[in-house]
Amino acid sequence: MKFTPRLPEKNVNVTSGSRLWDFFLILTGLFLILACVYFTLGFAVDLIVPRISPETEYQMASYFFRQKSDKAVSEKTRMVQDLTNRMRKCSEIPYGLTVHVSESDQFNAMALPGGNILVFSKLLEKVESENELAFVLAHEMGHFANRDHLRGLGRSLVFMAISAVLFGGDSWVGALLGQSLNITEMSFSRKQETGADEYALNVLNCAYGHVGGSIDFFRKLGKYESKDIMPHYFSTHPESRKRISHLKKYGHSKGFSDGPVRPLERTSVEKTSVK
Amino acid sequence: MMDILIFILLPVLGYLAGTWAEKRHYRSIEERESRYLHLPGVTMGNVEIGETDVEKAEMVYGSVVISTDYFKRILAGLRNIFGGTVRSYETLTDRARREALLRMKEMAAGASVIVNVRIETSAISKDVSKGVACLEAIAYGTALTLRENNEIHTSVT
Repeated sequence: MKFTPRLPEKNVNVTSGSRLWDFFLILTGLFLILACVYFTLGFAVDLIVPRISPETEYQMASYFFRQKSDKAVSEKTRMVQDLTNRMRKCSEIPYGLTVHVSESDQFNAMALPGGNILVFSKLLEKVESENELAFVLAHEMGHFANRDHLRGLGRSLVFMAISAVLFGGDSWVGALLGQSLNITEMSFSRKQETGADEYALNVLNCAYGHVGGSIDFFRKLGKYESKDIMPHYFSTHPESRKRISHLKKYGHSKGFSDGPVRPLERTSVEKTSVK
Repeated sequence: MMDILIFILLPVLGYLAGTWAEKRHYRSIEERESRYLHLPGVTMGNVEIGETDVEKAEMVYGSVVISTDYFKRILAGLRNIFGGTVRSYETLTDRARREALLRMKEMAAGASVIVNVRIETSAISKDVSKGVACLEAIAYGTALTLRENNEIHTSVT
């Protein structure tokens, strides 16, 4: 056999075609798939919200909420917790509610998965009566009853629910999901807020026999909610005046009466607000 | 903002500089391949040459390290999702192996034939997931220098 040196006619080891075109093709495909997933998730939220059990919800909550031991609970928190427990008897919420007091300049409270209610310290400082605070807590219970607190998580709810079912309460997947979620960005629609208001009025009437003090919160809302920090709360909470008039109308149609408000046992609250 | 800028800038830079370097490298490879065409490198272990005809036998080798660029890496990463031929790395391995062979031949300058040629490839990187990977190719064989008036005949044994 004679050896004849020759160069290969073409490079068989490199696939022909533009790599830039390859890049755009794959990227477009990827975006299309992601768009489909995003779209589907929107539907999935409404689909799974009624199907999430309190147990799953409890595990989801541990992703962004560390359960505090009894020792760490302050007097302030215990007072609100007691009030919440009393109010819960008038609601139809089948699971226990846990109150957390958070030091914050927000005049508000929040309903979070796993029956957690986040109460901001400014709210406790500024409320004048027990009834007023009770209304706010009942409003959050309304969000629980209507499962708005799950819808508020948006599309990440789908991932959290799947992770909670598959991996349980303390997995790194869940921890990652919890970190990526900013709970202060939870927002509710006007319809959801109105629904929670009506629910709160019913609970308040059940607990005290009248609805006195129910609108006090809204009178202060505009005053204390600083516009610079949380501007979107103004847009998601229907304007206070509208909510007041709606509550009055709703209370009238239900035959709820006004009554004397009970003062808040706030010995511990005042102690902290003085310093 | 800065992160996004870097995220876009690196692949663009990788594509432009990478393409330029690759074209230049291929031109050089093709030019040298035709220059070294007279020196065959074969994978066979035995050739039909009498021991007395061999003037000199020595080990020759050539190695090269070539880096990927961000564009190639991202494109390969995207390919990981859908599967298929990873074009962006094909040119990389092709260049590395041909360059290694050429360097081996350069080392064997003056020889008549290189037998028992082997090519090996390995990745050089501390942590591929963090940085851009490098590719090393090494080609080695035995260069035989024959006494004059000997034609090269090879046969499989």
